[in-house]
This record gives sequence, structure tokens and C-alpha cells, in this order.
Amino acid sequence: MSAVWLSISVATCATLLALPPALAVATLLEHGRGRWRGALYVLVLLPLVLPPVVTGWLLLLTFSPNGWLGASLAGLGLPVAFHWLGAVLAAAVVGFPLLVMLLSSALRSIDPRLRAVAASLGASRWQVFRRVTLPLAWPGILSGASLCFARALGEFGATIVVAGHVPGETSTLPLQIMAAMERPGAEAEVSALAAASLLLGVVCVVAHRMLLGRHRARLELPA
Amino acid sequence: MKLSVQVDRSFGGGFRLALAFDVDCSVLALVGESGAGKSCLLDLLAGALPSRRGGGARGGAHGEARVLLDGVDLSPLPLRARRVGWVSQEPALFPHLDVAANLQFSPHAGGLREVTDALDISHLLQRMPAHLSGGERRRVALARALVSRPRLLLLDEPFNGLDERRRRGALSLLRRVSLRFAVPTVLVSHVAEEVFGLADHALRLSAGRLVAQGRPAAVLRAGETCVDNHLVGRVRGPDEVEVDGIRWQLPLPEGAEGELALAVFAHDLLLARQAPVGLSARNIWPTRVLSVEPLGDTLLVRVERPELVLTLTRAAVDELQLAPGVDVFVVLKATSVVSLGRA
Repeated sequence: MSAVWLSISVATCATLLALPPALAVATLLEHGRGRWRGALYVLVLLPLVLPPVVTGWLLLLTFSPNGWLGASLAGLGLPVAFHWLGAVLAAAVVGFPLLVMLLSSALRSIDPRLRAVAASLGASRWQVFRRVTLPLAWPGILSGASLCFARALGEFGATIVVAGHVPGETSTLPLQIMAAMERPGAEAEVSALAAASLLLGVVCVVAHRMLLGRHRARLELPA
Repeated sequence: MKLSVQVDRSFGGGFRLALAFDVDCSVLALVGESGAGKSCLLDLLAGALPSRRGGGARGGAHGEARVLLDGVDLSPLPLRARRVGWVSQEPALFPHLDVAANLQFSPHAGGLREVTDALDISHLLQRMPAHLSGGERRRVALARALVSRPRLLLLDEPFNGLDERRRRGALSLLRRVSLRFAVPTVLVSHVAEEVFGLADHALRLSAGRLVAQGRPAAVLRAGETCVDNHLVGRVRGPDEVEVDGIRWQLPLPEGAEGELALAVFAHDLLLARQAPVGLSARNIWPTRVLSVEPLGDTLLVRVERPELVLTLTRAAVDELQLAPGVDVFVVLKATSVVSLGRA
């Protein structure tokens, strides 16, 4: 059971960690001007196309106690490598491209005239973002967040490299299943953990549908 | 308003908007064929297009634009600082906000009650935009612009897509709004009736250039000369209204009472020098010619009491020897008067 709760907490924190920068990057990609957008897009998509193990290795280089960022974070009492935070970071980085893609698509679907009209009415950029862009992008944010959460639940490759398999700290469901599969006579445990994964996935999709339905009802849009 | 504009801008697709004008009027109409640059000029006035040359500007735009309104240079001001009430072709209401929240969106919002009463949308305040008709959406968009207390109102084909009856109603409403709130307005329109009904100055654009300007009658061309008369009549009996002391017979809906908004097409009116007899037309009354002025290939004749405009051919005007001060009889069929509902 601890693996289930650990997975949920890691996936939740990873989603919350990835959401603000993903929204910022998606806004830059959709509303920014300049050639750098292409380079940014490639950079954002990298975790999606790289083998997760390579992503984990790059994270480990950066966040290990000897890494250029890991040393500073460890000094602040935030150790990443082979800690719970490492599992969160790995899941957030791997889910980030999906989140950015869905948020970009949500921002793109907002009629640009609405932002222009809002500005013509005297709203500042922040007011336009908070009162027009954010509420209208909300279905996309929900979709992206639920997909990022689901991806984080299933994250394995990068997590095992960055966070290792530390029981009770980084042993999320996929890592626990892998460990049980390697242990003779633990078939029942594997089945139980796999069933828990399945259940979590179904709950995730159903919750996503319900939240989206409620939002559409509020906007009185067709389903 | 005193509006001074100088623009020379190239856009994507080879389109270039190059024109300059100084006007002093209340309502300025921009007319011209599709693609002439009317909406583009309106976007520039709104500040939706950057005023200066810059890489990556929308549509690959390059060049300069300078806009002076009553001595204030709007050019360096971004969209949010220009204080323009910008009503685009599609109403662009915020779909996640009800009508009341749409109207109060502007940080400068004020006079909500007065505007909602004037535009007859007080009963819609709690509705979501998805549940409004096309005409209601347009009224709300116009109200939202007026509530933001703009220094300039920009209307891009405000009646586009409305059916004939609703369009006439909306025109009558917009004229009342224009008189009541007295906001300087720039109006883009394809419809001569709107230009005549609202504007006191017009510019004709063609392929991004200014090709004519002046009074609407001087700028509009033949084929664009369909003009409406909008009046208010008081119901005096079944199928009878009084307009400026003259009684008209017309088919009225059952139970009509009080004051009615009425519309008469200028080309539905006839003039005679002597009192005609033996005509089927229900309404014939004596009056006097106020003015005769050219309107494209035809002539626009204005008569007094009630003040009406009608379009006649040059041959007819010559034959009847029509000139200001000449006594005439107006002939109006009962079915040529359209009742637009309560005034």
C-alpha cells in the first residue's frame, strides 16, 4: 500500500512542480515572437524522444551531490539524487513535454480576438492572462495535468537512474513491481500492484472526464 | 472629433495601406469593397497592429502609422492604453463570463445601468453568451464597449449577418445610442443605409488607398444608394399612426399602441407637383422640398414635415423642376412603411 501512496504523492508533486513552468513555456511558444521559439520547442520535446534512462542520466549529472546544481541544493538541505525529490523531479521532467504540448494546444484554441478585446477594454497583460486566458485554457490545463499525472505514475526509467530503488522513499509502483518480479514467489504481490496501477489509471481518466464535464457545463458548451 | 491619420504600411501578401486624412466629424464611415483595407485601418486605429516598423509584427507588417485624436497622439499607446471601444465583426464576448461580467470587464467600467437600459439588455445580465441570439450578442458587445467609457468607438460592420428586420432595428438603436452617448465613432460598413443613417463624413478606400472623401452622399456610389428613413410615429387608431402631425395608414400588428419606430425606404416614396387623384396609395400629403443633392447617378431629395429623403432619377427631378422651396405632394403606399416595434 505504501507504494501506491508514494506513487500518488510523487505524481501529484511532479504535476504541481511541472505545471507553472509548463504554462510559462507554452505561453512563450504560443504568444512569443522570434526564431528562438523553434529551439525552445526542440528543447522541451527532448525528454519525450530521449530514452528515459538517458534523461535520468542527464538529471543525475546535474543533480548528483557533485553535480553543478545538486551541490547547491544539497547545501540548502534539498538532496535530489536517490531521494524522494529525485523521483518527483524525474517524473516532472518526463511529463513536462506532454504538459507543454496540451497547454500550447489549449492556448492556441483561444480566439486571439478575445485577448485583443480584453486589452482594448483597458485590461493589463496580467489581467488578460488571469481573467481570459487562464479560465479559457482550463480544460487544456486539466487535460495536461491529468496526462502528466498518469505519465508520472508510470515513470520508471529516469526514476531508477536518478532516485534508485530506496524502499519507502523512491520505490514507486513501477519500481516496486519490477522488484517483486525479480523476487521468486512474489507473483501475488505483482498482481496486486498491477491491479492497483490499473485502478489508479482508470480513476485518473474518470476524474479527468468529470472535471472537464463540469467545466464545459459552466461554460455551457456542447460536450 | 478631430482625427488625423497618416499611414504607410505593408502587410503580408503584398497588401499596402497607404493613406492620410484629417477629418472633423462625429461619426466617420469607412466604405469600399472587400479587401480595400477598411478593417485593417480600424485595427490600426484600435492599436491592434503595432504603429511602428518592427520585426515579427503581426502579418509581417512593416512601415509607419500615426494617429492623432483631438490633438492626442495615440500612435505610441498600446491597445490597452488607447481607451477605444472596439466592436469587431464578430461580437467576441468572453464565453466563460455572463453578460454582467462581460459588461463590467473593463477597469474603467461605468454607467452600466444607463447603457443596459439604452440597449435594452437589462434582462440578459445573468445569461451566458452561448445563450444569446446574434442580435443580443452584438448589443452586449456594443454595451461592453460603451461601458468602458471610450474616447473613440470603432465599429466593424456592426450589423453584419443580421436579417433585414433586425438590421433596421439595430440601426435605429445605434442612432439613438450615438445621439445619447455622443462618443466619436468610426464605422466600417458595406451598407449605404448604415452610412447615411449614422455618419456625417465618409472615406472611400480602394486597394489600401483613399480614393474619395466627403459627405456620405458624395462618397457613396450608384448601387449603394439604398437609403432608409427612420421615424417615430404615435398610434392613433387601428392601422393609423401620426408622424410629425401627418396621419399615415399602414398595417399595424394587433394591439399596437404608444410610439412605434418606423422605417421607409427612400426609393419607395413618390413625389407629385399636383395633388394626385385615383391612386391606390393610402398616404398622400402636401409638403415642400428642402434640398436636392447628387447621390451617385441619382439625386437625393429631402422634404420637410415629416423630414424624409427619397431617391429620384435626374430625369424625374428635371421634369418636375424640383428645387429647394418647391411645393410637392408625397405619395406613400401603406405597405411601404415597416413597423420596427416600440420606439
